[in-house]
Amino acid sequence: MKRDYVPAILENLIWFILVAVFLFFIFQSPFFLTSVNITNILSAAAVLGILVVGQTFVLITGNFDLSSESTLGLAALFGIWLIVPALAPNWGGGLLLNPYLSIVIILAMGALIGWVIGLLITVGKMNNFIVTLAMLLILRGTMLAFTQGNATSGLNFPPADIFYWLGHAAAIDIPGVVKIPVAVLATALVFVTGHVVLNHRRFGRELYAIGGNKAAAIASGIDADKRIRQVYVISGMLAALGGWMLAGRVASIQVNLGEGYIFTVMAAAVIGGVSLQGGRGTMLGALGGVLLLSTIDRGLNLMKVSVFWIKVIQGLIIMLAMFIDAQRVRYRARATSEAKADAVVSEAGKR
Amino acid sequence: MSDTPEVELRGIIKDFPGVRALDDVSFTVAPGEIHALVGKNGAGKSTLMHILTGLYAPDSGEILFRGKPHDRLTTAAAKAAGIAIVSQHAKYVPGLSIAENIFAGALPLKRGGFVDWARMKREAAMRLERFGLDLDVTRRMEETSVAERQMIEIARALFADARVVILDEPTAPLPKHDVTRLFGFVRRLRDEGASFIYISHYLEEIFDVADRVTVMRNGRVTGTANIADITQAELIRLISGVDVERYRRPPAAAGAAVLELRGLSRPGHYSDIDISFRSGEIVGLTGLEGSGPGALVRGLFGLEPQGQGRMSIDGRPYAAESPVAALRQRLAYLPRDRHGLGIIGIRSVRDNISLSILAKLQSMLGLIDARREDALVRDYIAHLGIKTPSARTHVENLSGGNQQKVVVAKLAATEPRMLFLDEPTQGVDVEAKVEILRIIDDLSKRGVAVGVVSDELSELMDICDRIIVFYRGRIAREFRKGKDEITTGKLLAAIEGDLMEAQQ
Repeated sequence: MKRDYVPAILENLIWFILVAVFLFFIFQSPFFLTSVNITNILSAAAVLGILVVGQTFVLITGNFDLSSESTLGLAALFGIWLIVPALAPNWGGGLLLNPYLSIVIILAMGALIGWVIGLLITVGKMNNFIVTLAMLLILRGTMLAFTQGNATSGLNFPPADIFYWLGHAAAIDIPGVVKIPVAVLATALVFVTGHVVLNHRRFGRELYAIGGNKAAAIASGIDADKRIRQVYVISGMLAALGGWMLAGRVASIQVNLGEGYIFTVMAAAVIGGVSLQGGRGTMLGALGGVLLLSTIDRGLNLMKVSVFWIKVIQGLIIMLAMFIDAQRVRYRARATSEAKADAVVSEAGKR
Repeated sequence: MSDTPEVELRGIIKDFPGVRALDDVSFTVAPGEIHALVGKNGAGKSTLMHILTGLYAPDSGEILFRGKPHDRLTTAAAKAAGIAIVSQHAKYVPGLSIAENIFAGALPLKRGGFVDWARMKREAAMRLERFGLDLDVTRRMEETSVAERQMIEIARALFADARVVILDEPTAPLPKHDVTRLFGFVRRLRDEGASFIYISHYLEEIFDVADRVTVMRNGRVTGTANIADITQAELIRLISGVDVERYRRPPAAAGAAVLELRGLSRPGHYSDIDISFRSGEIVGLTGLEGSGPGALVRGLFGLEPQGQGRMSIDGRPYAAESPVAALRQRLAYLPRDRHGLGIIGIRSVRDNISLSILAKLQSMLGLIDARREDALVRDYIAHLGIKTPSARTHVENLSGGNQQKVVVAKLAATEPRMLFLDEPTQGVDVEAKVEILRIIDDLSKRGVAVGVVSDELSELMDICDRIIVFYRGRIAREFRKGKDEITTGKLLAAIEGDLMEAQQ
């Protein structure tokens, strides 16, 4: 059959674009293709990637989770607050909790936030966009009220070591050759797990069905409300994990930590082919979206493009992605009518 | 009235990549006639209508409106020439009033650009009245019935000086009494000189409403005839190219009771329902729209509350809490609304078929066993004769009949003990219909208890061992094959409630 390669290219377009962008920056900057820079791109992609995995689960069911950036910020702040002294500069709760326990607590907190959102949407029958938008404000406000606007720092504070390990430590470090941060490996692991769950487990298949046609999914014996609560729990927990990771990367936790992240998260997922209408998209595509955005960010930095223009360029890239997506939709529509025409021929051929 | 046809298509050829969709098609519509256009899904009806409305350009052939040729027909030109299309899903703004919908895009204005509401209401009501539609034009569109919407849509087309209105399967979403109302409306407009092209799968309706019929198959016209000069059997032969026989199931011996209902009542829907569904038996459930059977099976599957009363499966109490609970008791349900509740169009044939049994396909690690899944899906595709390029094809790309078979495969995969089907052959072509009836028969032969809800009496008479007729939520009569003489007349009388009334 002719034109079989077109859908394949359209569905995997993100990787072609990524390669093109990569080549472009290699020619633009001699520092681009260095081990240090690649490590930087991957490190920058790590936290974003974790959030995108959570978001992809939610998007595939046809829902949104706008609150994850606030969950991330609050988890990072609260986790440190639990383990550092009350005194400046280590503004904290003075509880001096075991850092392992603190990690468990913030992950549980993320899960709880997701569960509450899920309940409001499925039992309270509230709109997911508005509920998570409200949660975004509530959590950010909580963070502000809690700290009275103070930044928190626990850096170089010994008990906090494990807390910094995820965001800070190197898994493999051969000086001058290669350095792979723990964060990058952790994110890779989250992506692989996400991919397996989506494609090879009943859970993932049911999410696609819910996003594709919720009423039909329910009539097929799927507990859609339960699944929706579960994806929000996953998204909340992953946001908290991202918070833990980010806490290890920054010197101090500012009250605006993670603010505005959600735009990049959505952009990465959509650029990677995840449909905002639900039912379509893959983890692999979402990963491509994450890598593309952090590559462009890093490349423009290396080219010394002003930070002011970087925002404009990011906006343009998101628009371009939507343009490509619109082409994909158009192509699919045409392919659908042609497939029907083909069916006519094959039936006619049998006569 | 002049003899010049309103529409004349001559020798239309249309090629799509790799396929000739229309091959030398000629088609005329006379003034003041209802011209039915029939054929299987994919026969070329839609393509022909797209050409007529200017959406597609033909590769060769002539298009004449009232004798005047149109070389490069655009959608605007077709509209200007008086061609209008009213599709199955009428296009309207649900939150606005009937009047606003009628005047959409050309609201009457007062000075200063303010909407002249009084004039709009007055004129909207006047216009509808002219076509014999007495509706409160301030009602919101979403509050009207589907039939009313379609009549409004037809009226709207005629206000815009349409001379030929294409009705694309207008009755598919309609209950019976609304069909009658719509037909009355269409006939009246025809008598006033409007022409209609009527596309439908329901042959009985065509004999009811059409003046002439044109049949298409595989992109060609296989015949045109006055409706008075053709029989249903001849029509079916033209549509399918072969003699399709009605699928008649011999009476079968019923086994043990599977699902038993005792005194089941749901206020406003049905009351005092006593039925035993037996293994290997097919029970037909019918009645007027809203008389109970549809709500009953939805309730039994847990999609709606099922009300009060005793229910048991294999003698054990059954509570229809949810579809999950129903499927756990091996009770499956094929919904009437295929697109809304049956298929997940943007997912593959494979994903749709295995959807309800993913738990069973999981291996030790909780991963879906791809080999077992593929094998199962392949089996169903082969056994049910699902025509699809591959198991990975999205279901939305299949024809209606094949989509329905995918839903049936999904249900069969759950290995049900009790299977309910609500209008299983709605919107599928003649051949697919026979195949679906064969599949239902097969399932029943393997010991499944089957309940079929349908308005198509001939279909129920062909495959059911018993037919239970509902009237106003109660069981009015039961016909048993082999014991009672079952005729359409008797069934219709029971459906209309004559017997109930007579007994009282």
